[in-house]
Amino acid sequence: MNKHLVIDSEKCTGCGLCELACAINKTGQCQPHLARISIWREETRGMFIPMTCQHCENAPCADACLMNVISKNPATGLTVRRLEGCIGCRACQVACPFEACSYDYMQEVVVNCDHCGGNPECVKYCPSGALQYKSTAQALEVHRNLEGARRCGMAGLVRGER
Amino acid sequence: MSKSRGYAGHILEINLSNLDSKRNELDAKFCREYLGGIGFNAKLIWDEVPAGIDALSPENVLAFSAGTMVGSPFPTASRTEASAKSPMTGLFGTSNSGMFFGTQLKNAGFDALVIKGRAEKPVYLFIEDGEISIHDAARLWGKDSWETLDILKKQFPGAEVALIGTAGENLVRFACIENGYYDAWARTGLGAVMGSKNLKAIVVRGTQGITPHNVEELLKVTSKARQLIQSSPFFKPFQSYGSMNAAMPYGNFKALNANNFSQGCLPDWKENFARPKVEELTNGHIACQSCIIACAHWVEIKEGKYQGLRMKDMEVTPTVSFGSGCGMSLEATVKAAEMGQRYGMDMVSAAGVMAMAIELFNRGLITKEDIGYEIAFGDDDVILRLMDDIAHRKGLGEVLAEGTMRAAQQFEDGKASAMHVKGLEMPMIDPRGRWSTWTLGILTNIRGGDHLRCRNPIENLRYNENKYDFQKERFGFDQKMYEALDIPEEIKSQAINLEPDTVDIAIMSRWAEDLINLFNSVGVCIRPPVEHRIGPTILAEAYTAFTGIKISPVEIIQSAERAWNLIKLFNLREGEQPEDSQFPRRFYEEAVGGKILDEIQVQGVLQQYYIARGWDVLTGKPGEEKLMELGLSNMG
Repeated sequence: MNKHLVIDSEKCTGCGLCELACAINKTGQCQPHLARISIWREETRGMFIPMTCQHCENAPCADACLMNVISKNPATGLTVRRLEGCIGCRACQVACPFEACSYDYMQEVVVNCDHCGGNPECVKYCPSGALQYKSTAQALEVHRNLEGARRCGMAGLVRGER
Repeated sequence: MSKSRGYAGHILEINLSNLDSKRNELDAKFCREYLGGIGFNAKLIWDEVPAGIDALSPENVLAFSAGTMVGSPFPTASRTEASAKSPMTGLFGTSNSGMFFGTQLKNAGFDALVIKGRAEKPVYLFIEDGEISIHDAARLWGKDSWETLDILKKQFPGAEVALIGTAGENLVRFACIENGYYDAWARTGLGAVMGSKNLKAIVVRGTQGITPHNVEELLKVTSKARQLIQSSPFFKPFQSYGSMNAAMPYGNFKALNANNFSQGCLPDWKENFARPKVEELTNGHIACQSCIIACAHWVEIKEGKYQGLRMKDMEVTPTVSFGSGCGMSLEATVKAAEMGQRYGMDMVSAAGVMAMAIELFNRGLITKEDIGYEIAFGDDDVILRLMDDIAHRKGLGEVLAEGTMRAAQQFEDGKASAMHVKGLEMPMIDPRGRWSTWTLGILTNIRGGDHLRCRNPIENLRYNENKYDFQKERFGFDQKMYEALDIPEEIKSQAINLEPDTVDIAIMSRWAEDLINLFNSVGVCIRPPVEHRIGPTILAEAYTAFTGIKISPVEIIQSAERAWNLIKLFNLREGEQPEDSQFPRRFYEEAVGGKILDEIQVQGVLQQYYIARGWDVLTGKPGEEKLMELGLSNMG
């Protein structure tokens, strides 16, 4: 995998433009729930963490899939889905540690980020630079989540009380 | 998915007295004429509120309308307007707030909510995907707004909540409606209206989606608007420092509310509220839906008495109102803001009424026996204690909870210390220190003493000149800036005169009010970079692309003007008198920083404003011709 969607949650302002841009591009609807990226909002900690498919090497969603429609594309390294075989059981959602599989209730299938074929809409719309599309070498330079971890401690990464 | 484009397509009407609800379909004519947001509210309140009622009676109507562009990726489209007859002014009460409430409301299938009647016992509403349920709120009543939110947000994940806190329950007249944890529909006492209806909260969640009419056009105009806003010279400062930007120049002009408008700026203001000190407390930027500026800051107090306090704050209004108006320390303003949010009180009004109380105490009109303790400017602890008393209507708080105008009537000659216009407390800017379009706007504002409905889109904070007999302010930008402004040529040439380099305050006020009313109708934010670059041309394009309703720039600004005139008609119907458009006497009688307002000249500018509006020059009543032009002639 030579291009990565790098999330720098320190910079995220929680505006939700990535969600809208994704939803409009993929479904023609202004509805954040239809997006393949979503911002995890820790309002009372002042923290916003955009979550999307990380295209894991050993993808747990692929292991969980009952219909074997999820696989890795050997050329791009992306996790891809054969949607015509998807029964919408949402087992992959349960397996995903990033809550990055989104249920498209218009088509009744579960979808994930596909990097928009190499030109991600969310990155274009992100006003703060929290989302970037980078090569492997560049991506290694980004120290993501440092500020986030500092701001709420490691406990902040687990949903909890204010 | 909804059939209509851009709009969700329905108005939800709920009567709490008989627990009845109705869905009314939007029609295209109503949409064109009133757009959404404050436009919808103006018409709904005009139609539904009977003349002359008590604002806290069940007959009052509380309306929430999301702006038209809300839910779209158009930059800063997030604003929802809430309106009712105001318990503070007795006139049109209205307030605007951002964040995600409007987006959820539209996704739940409604552009507007109309709430009537009064519930027998405390209730809250839950609205989800076109379905409405009314729940018992006994377990929530008595809890402050943050405690209530902790419960409701856990029960309804992903939902947005509009709610009242302690002050709203106790019918404190300037109670606000909280929009989530840190935002509010604050001014004009809408929280008291909600409290009078026994309505604790409105929980909204939706997945219906909003279908744009023409996706391609919408994205094109969105990216154009984005480039325009980012190219404004106000963009970078606002992005890095938010609304606190204006506080320093206004301090230098001696144009801040300091100790109840008795000084233009506190002697230690510059030192205590300096930028590095503010920056030390803040980190991280927070945005509303679709905003590319993110002007709000995350504040953390790391040491001292208020250590551990963290919230979204350091907005100019609460910071100056408490810090300068009551002389509190920077850290204590954050604590005051926290209390304001928890109790659900308008912080400008709360700070205003407390500053008046301290002045009355200094004048000997209020004694220690009345309050139970001594109060003084700059004494953080007693001011916070007084704030607590107001929210709970304890002791003197019972009197102060009625707001500045009513509280002042309880004391002989209290009026001289009451800094309000039409019953609403003056905001944090002092018109004596800097006379401008912004300060005339306090006088002409349809909601009383407030600074948010009229601001020169090209206000130049480098200049503060006093040589134009109150008629003009300095323009101070170049030809290129002039040409880039999205104002119709005719108005632009009247409002801005490049040769002597001036802006005509009366004509610019009218334009600025219409422009801001347009923003509040379509749901776009009025932050300076946006107000500077975005105008009727691009908004008409965006409106048409999103909704499919064809509208021209002239028509769209006329729709905003229509709403403004209708609100003025409402105010006149509710008994507004020409002499109500008057600053507190202090501004004409006591100088601050060597400056004073000239009453005759101020009234002269006001009359020129009436002429620019097509209103009667003496009474400020919308003229027959203007009403005809706007299609309101049968209403005057």
